[in-house]
Amino acid sequence: MSVLFPWLFWVLILVAAVVFLWPLRRTRTANKNEYENLSPPLFNEEFSEELNPPAALSSHQLQRPPEPELPHCYGIDRMVLLARDPHWLFAYWEITATKQDEFTNNYGPEAWSATHPVLRIYDITGIDFNGKNALGYTDIHISESADNWYVQVGKPDRSFCVDLGRMFPDGRFITLLRSNAVTTPRASLSDRLDEEWMWIEGLYRTIGKFQFGTSSPMIIEELAMRSAALPLGISSPGLNNDK
Amino acid sequence: MPKGYLCLVLHAHLPFVRHPEHENFLEEKWLYEAITETYIPLIHVFERLIEDNVKFRVTLTLSPPLLSMFTDPLLQERYVRHLAKLIELADKEEGRTYGSPFHETALMYKKRFQEAMFTFCDRYNRNLVTAFKDFQDKGRIELITCAATHGYLPFMMLYPEAIKGQIKTAVDLHTRHLGKPPAGIWLPECAYAPGVDEILKECGLKFFFTDSHGVLYASHRPRFGIFAPIYCPSGVAAFGRDIESSKQVWSTQEGYPGDYDYREFYRDIGYDLGLDYIGPYIHPDGIRIHTGIKYHKITGKVDLSQKQPYNPRQADEKAALHAGNFMFNRQHQIYYLANLMDRPPIIVAPYDAELFGHWWFEGPKWLDYLIRKIAFDQDVVEMATPSDYLQNFPCNQVATPCSSSWGNKGYHEVWLCGANDWIYRHLHIAAERMTSLANKYSNARGLHRRALNQAAREFLLAQSSDWAFIMSTGTMVEYAVKRTKYHLLNFFQLQKEIQGNCINEDNLQYLEYKNNIFPDIDYNWYANRTELPKAASL
Repeated sequence: MSVLFPWLFWVLILVAAVVFLWPLRRTRTANKNEYENLSPPLFNEEFSEELNPPAALSSHQLQRPPEPELPHCYGIDRMVLLARDPHWLFAYWEITATKQDEFTNNYGPEAWSATHPVLRIYDITGIDFNGKNALGYTDIHISESADNWYVQVGKPDRSFCVDLGRMFPDGRFITLLRSNAVTTPRASLSDRLDEEWMWIEGLYRTIGKFQFGTSSPMIIEELAMRSAALPLGISSPGLNNDK
Repeated sequence: MPKGYLCLVLHAHLPFVRHPEHENFLEEKWLYEAITETYIPLIHVFERLIEDNVKFRVTLTLSPPLLSMFTDPLLQERYVRHLAKLIELADKEEGRTYGSPFHETALMYKKRFQEAMFTFCDRYNRNLVTAFKDFQDKGRIELITCAATHGYLPFMMLYPEAIKGQIKTAVDLHTRHLGKPPAGIWLPECAYAPGVDEILKECGLKFFFTDSHGVLYASHRPRFGIFAPIYCPSGVAAFGRDIESSKQVWSTQEGYPGDYDYREFYRDIGYDLGLDYIGPYIHPDGIRIHTGIKYHKITGKVDLSQKQPYNPRQADEKAALHAGNFMFNRQHQIYYLANLMDRPPIIVAPYDAELFGHWWFEGPKWLDYLIRKIAFDQDVVEMATPSDYLQNFPCNQVATPCSSSWGNKGYHEVWLCGANDWIYRHLHIAAERMTSLANKYSNARGLHRRALNQAAREFLLAQSSDWAFIMSTGTMVEYAVKRTKYHLLNFFQLQKEIQGNCINEDNLQYLEYKNNIFPDIDYNWYANRTELPKAASL
C-alpha cells in the first residue's frame, strides 16, 4: 500500500491535468489551423509554436529567400568603352574561360600565370584604326581581378580605343579584347571658325566665367547632402530602419 | 517685333513609381506630393492666365512615365484618398493653430488642398493630362516629350536601337494622349552625345536642348553662342541653356528660392508634431514623412529650430519682386545681345517643373507674375517656344553639339561613377538581347507577342536615369538598386522564356499588371536590319 500510494497520487494528478487542460489543447489546435493559413510553421512540434507565435516566426526565424541577383558574367568576350568626360574614360569587360583556354593553347600552359593584365590605350583620333596605325598608346598595368577601370586620358576631343591584353616579362603584349572607339567631349570653344560664320567677340562677353551644372541634379545633390534626405521629401522604409 | 525672346522650359518628370502591390508605398508619394505641390498649382497658374486673356508661351515636357501615371486609374484613385487625408489633416490644423501666428498659413493650406481636390476630380475628371492638352490646344503651351523612361542616352550610343526604343515609345505615347506628335524633346538630364540627333530626326523630332557648353563647345564655334539655335548636321535644332537666367533661379546661394521670406522646405509637421497626433497622416509604420504642411520661412542661415513663422503675404510680395527682377535682367541681356546679332536673340531658361511649388513653394506664383509682367509691362521681351523661333528664323548655323549633360561638372560623371557604373554591363547586354529578340521574332503573335512587349517594358524601366542618379547621391540607394535589378531580372527571365518557347503565362500576366507602362508598345521598334555594332576589328 505504502508503495502503491505515491503511484496512485501521480496517476490522479495526471488524470486531473488531462481533464483540465483538454479544452485548452483544443483551442490551441484550432489556432494552429488558423496560423497555418497565414504561414506554414517551421516546426511540427507543438512546443516550438508555443514558444514562438507564428507571427514572430515569420519575421525572426524564417530566413527570407535571398534576393535573386544579376549574373556576374554573361559568357561573352567583350570590352565596352565609355567616355565619361573630356578627361576620363571608363572600360568594363568580361573574359570567358574559352578565351583564357585559347590563350593557354597558343602560348603554353604556363603563359597565363607568367603574364599580367595590361590595358593599352590607343589614341586613334582621325584615323580608321586597324590595330597598328594608332597615333600612340599608353599601357596601364592593372590587377588580375579587375573587370573595369577608369582611365585618365586628360585629352578632350580625342578618339580612343582600348585593348585588354596579357604582357610577358619581356614586354610582349598579346591582345585579348578590343573595345569600341569613343571620342572624349570638347572642354572648350572650338577653334574651327567658318569663313561665312564669323565669330563675334561681344556675344561671349556676357557669358564670362561660368560653372557647369547649376541645375536640378546639382540642387538635389546639394540639398540631399545638407539634410540627408532627398528633397522630394520621402525616404524609403528600408533606409529609415538602417538609421 | 520684340527685341528678343524668352524661352521658358519646364521639364516635368518623375520615375515610374506605381506599386499596386502595397497600399502605402513611400516612393509612390513622390507623385502625390508633386501633384499637390507642383502640377496642380501650375495648372492653376495657366488656367488663370487664360481666363484673364494674358498672352504667353511656355514649353513644357510631360515625361512618358508622368503621362502614364497621370492616366492610371489606380494611382488616380489613390491620389484622391491621399488628398482627402490631407484635407482632413488641414481641417484639424485649422483648429490646432487657432490664435497662433501659424493660423493664416493653416487656412491657406486648407484652401489649397480643397481647390486641388476640385481641380483634380471635378474639373479634369482625375486626368490631369486633359488640363495640359487644353493649354496646348489653346496655343499657350508647347508640349514636348522626353525619352520613354528617362534613359540616359549617351551611354546607349553603342546600341542605337535602344535609343530608338526610348524615343519611339515616347513619341507614340505622347501622340496618343495629346492628339499630335511632339515637335521637340527634352533629352533626359539634358544629356546629349553626337549621333542622338539622328535618331531624333528619324522619329520626327525637330529640336532638343543642351546645357550651355553643349552648344558653346560645338564642333564649329557658334556665331551667336547660345542665343540662337544651331542645326546638327542631321537638321535637328539644338538650343543651349542660358547661364545667367539659370543661375538666378537654380543657384542655392544666389538664387531666388533661397530668399529668407520664402517657405522653408525642411520644417514639416510630419516631423515636428507628436506621433499621437500626426500618426494617421504619416507612414503606417510610424516612419515620419513630409506632409506638405510647413509653417516656417527660411528666415536665414539658422538652425531648423530657429525658423520664424511663414507669412504668405510677405512671400507673395517677394515673388512679385523677383519676377520683376528676372524680367529686368532679361531685358538688359536682350538689349545688349540685340546689338551684336542680326536677329533677335532667344534666351533659353529650362527648369525642372518640380522646382516650382515643391521645393520653391512660391515658384508658381513667381511664374504667374513673370508672365503677366512680360505681357503687360514692356515690349522688349516676348515669350516664345522653340517651334515659334524656328518658324520665324529657319536659317541657322550648322555644327555638331558637344557631348554634355546638365549634371554636376557638365558631362556624364553623375551617371557613371563608382556608385552606379556596374549597371551598364547589364543594361548593355539587355540592349543587345532586346534587339536580337526583335530581329528574330519579327511577326510574333499571341502569347509570344505579349512576352516580347513586356520584355521591352522591363528593359525600358531598368534604364531610367533616375536610378543611376539616386545611386550617385547616396540617399535611398536601396530602392534604386532594387528597381534596376528587378526590371533587368524580369527582362532576362522573359528573354529566356521567349527563346525557350516556354512562356509562363501566369507570371507574364502578373508583370503586365504590375509594370503596366506603355500599353501600346511595339517590341519591333527594337529591330535592326543591320549588324549590331561590334568592337573595332582585332
